[in-house]
Amino acid sequence: MSEFGGIVDHVDQDRIDAYAELSGDFNPLHVDPEAAAASEFGGTIAHGPIALHSFFRAATAWLGSEALPPGSEVKVVYRAPTRPGDDVTCELRELTTAADGRASIEAECVKQDGTTVVSVRAELPAPAAG
Amino acid sequence: MSAEPPILSNVLYDDLVVGRRMGPYEETVSRSMAEQLAGEIGRPTAVEAVPPAVFPVLFLKGLRRAMGGIPPKSILAKQELEFHRVLPVDSSVTIAVWIGNKEVKRERPFVTIEFDIRDSAGEQIVTGRKVIVWPTGPGEEQS
Repeated sequence: MSEFGGIVDHVDQDRIDAYAELSGDFNPLHVDPEAAAASEFGGTIAHGPIALHSFFRAATAWLGSEALPPGSEVKVVYRAPTRPGDDVTCELRELTTAADGRASIEAECVKQDGTTVVSVRAELPAPAAG
Repeated sequence: MSAEPPILSNVLYDDLVVGRRMGPYEETVSRSMAEQLAGEIGRPTAVEAVPPAVFPVLFLKGLRRAMGGIPPKSILAKQELEFHRVLPVDSSVTIAVWIGNKEVKRERPFVTIEFDIRDSAGEQIVTGRKVIVWPTGPGEEQS
């Protein structure tokens, strides 16, 4: 079993607003501080995929590629909200490797206080040689 | 090019029909979009292939078009993606969307939205789904 990671994403309201512009998701929970303050979250939270972002960066760095290759599968559970000011760190753990090099990966994206915000199970082809 | 859909939707849980297909919707994955999602969000990193973080964005764009906006106060619970082909930057894609499932678990309404993203030749690029805690449950009106 090998480990790879340490990719850190800093989350702030500017980045959340940038993601809203890119995706068109202007859910008030993400971009409206007043509405979000009145919600169960008590303030704005990041879009779920922002918390996942460090996993994608770690996976592509591990594979040595810009994209995830054909045959890749990613399953994500969102466990806790990510808020402005959080730092999310992702570490990958290679659980098993098949004869064809296909790897089963487990990853946790964790905030600075140790809270897991995202859990991932993935099937990825082998990293590029070299 | 179709008009931009509204920002927020008021589609009720009761109005979601499992299996009803919506779209396909055309979107362009520009170099700028790909590069803003390749490294730290919003800090461009040069790429020639579309990075994986673009596909959740395309799911959101498909969801907004299918629902006539993003359901306000919706919460993402789970997400799955299957990658079938690598997509070059500056590509056009189509996004088909349908309701895969809806159910109430632990008194919360969960809706599964399925996505099928294809390139301009009709080849499958990414498929996947989001499980969303819907802002309304059975018999409820928009809060």
